[in-house]
Amino acid sequence: MRAIMAIAATTVGEAIRRKVLLIILLIGVLFLAVAPGLNTLSTQSETTVLKGMVLGIVQLTSAVIAIVLTVYMIPNEIERRTIYTIVSKPVQRWQFLIGKYLGAVGALGIMMLLMSLVMEITFFLQFQSGFKAEDALDLLRAPAMFFVQMSLLAAVAICFSTFVTPLVNFFLSGGLYLIGSLFAPFFDSLNQNSSTPMFAKLTARFVGVVLPNFSIYNVQNPIINPGQTIQNPTTYYMQVTGYGVLYIGLLLVLGIVILDRREV
Amino acid sequence: MAAAIETKKLTKTYKSRALGLINVVEDLDLYVEEGEIFGFLGPNGAGKTTTIKMLLGIIYPTSGEGYVLGNEIGDMDIHRVISYLPERPYYYEHMTGLELLQFYDSLFGNKDKAKCQRLLERVNLAADASKTIAQYSKGMQQRVGLAQSLLNDPKLLFLDEPTGGLDPIAHREIRDLILNFRDEGRSVFISSHELSEVELICDRVAIINHGKIWQQGKLSELLKGARVEVVADNLTREFSDTVKIDGATVSFADGRLIVDVAEDESNINALIDGIRSAKGTMVSVIPRRKRLEDLFVETIRGARPATPAATVEAEVKS
Repeated sequence: MRAIMAIAATTVGEAIRRKVLLIILLIGVLFLAVAPGLNTLSTQSETTVLKGMVLGIVQLTSAVIAIVLTVYMIPNEIERRTIYTIVSKPVQRWQFLIGKYLGAVGALGIMMLLMSLVMEITFFLQFQSGFKAEDALDLLRAPAMFFVQMSLLAAVAICFSTFVTPLVNFFLSGGLYLIGSLFAPFFDSLNQNSSTPMFAKLTARFVGVVLPNFSIYNVQNPIINPGQTIQNPTTYYMQVTGYGVLYIGLLLVLGIVILDRREV
Repeated sequence: MAAAIETKKLTKTYKSRALGLINVVEDLDLYVEEGEIFGFLGPNGAGKTTTIKMLLGIIYPTSGEGYVLGNEIGDMDIHRVISYLPERPYYYEHMTGLELLQFYDSLFGNKDKAKCQRLLERVNLAADASKTIAQYSKGMQQRVGLAQSLLNDPKLLFLDEPTGGLDPIAHREIRDLILNFRDEGRSVFISSHELSEVELICDRVAIINHGKIWQQGKLSELLKGARVEVVADNLTREFSDTVKIDGATVSFADGRLIVDVAEDESNINALIDGIRSAKGTMVSVIPRRKRLEDLFVETIRGARPATPAATVEAEVKS
């Protein structure tokens, strides 16, 4: 366990110093800070639109960070021969991969926490006394769900990084994220529609089960999900978090199996 | 003496799209004694790093057997008593020298700051312990690499090009450290191109080319085939053309003839007789020990050509 935590801590230390990630983060934070100025709608629509815009910025920035952070993680360690100094010690490859993944999630968490903080400050400055403590807490639910979503995305990318090049991985993980975010509800409706041909239904069901469903984490985006209400939020959040953890586990196991057999 | 490393017909085969099945390492029989410094020599792509990676369990042999300190290769328990310094690895640059050692120490499940500081002192980096790796020179990075390879007090060290790209001072420092390792009873397996360095510190060597061992043994025995340098004055350039001895190197400059010839009494006598009858003046007859470089060049030239291991490995990985 100590080896895993040491690898994770080192990964966090390295990630939060990577210039490319810091630039992406800075751009995200800047957009968050100026978001109220871009909003020219009426006061009533203002809150909804601002919320949607700000959460969109947090989500997009986090997704780009998650992919850029993880696609190079394993290939870089091999390319720079650092992995040899690690796996030649009593460290199994699974420990190495888990450590790298936990480090990536840790770094992602720090960056998302910073964005969430800026987001809260932006709302506070915009609405001042109208922005209460419960509003602030309510607003944090979305980034919390995004964090699970990005952890899942990081697991997808780190799994791919054990056998594809970073460039291919970038498009593969990004593509999977888009499909899983935008088309999952479409596959669901295809599957549930009685008039859908059997082949399409089976395909939709297969795709729906195999591909990670990223859309279930977009619950609080009022633009993407207008009027969406969740009957029992606690159960829902636990279920989708459980789904994410299970999926992450499967992806990591797959990544470990591939890395273990790979000639590095 | 017990074996630190022993391999029997160790083979690594890669499948290449263009060339089919290629033996990057073929039927490798290697024997390294405990407590010796062993030089593993070969040109680029000869299969040196592939062999080391197999011995470390980083890649898997296609066939054959290998034992490191009595354990079969791939056994994770060995990793507690061996260590590896790859060729010019990258160390996490944001860390200080001390933090880096503490990181590697934690991979053994330890947290011994005092030991890390002692090791930094040992490699003359105590004063730079709080500098980040990014601030270290190449030589300092190599020394911190050696320090990390000593964290587990290893019985066997694998050093891949330990002095590659370093200045003469750093060369000497690393060389002294390696000699100290042997004095402490450790076995050291060095893969290197620096033949003069290897000649100075190694007890035994093996020369590998195209995945096969072509020479293996004690340096003193391998370099036995001595040569003699015969120097004579007052000769004409035409005389040098009359010297016909197999394997002799003849040069002529400023009226001085220099013949480098294998130590063979009849050849040398014939050459001296020839010089005298041409009214030349003998200047010197100096017996010269064969250099490792000579042995290396002879061996590599004699080895059959094939596809270099590195090329195949790179192709397979791509």
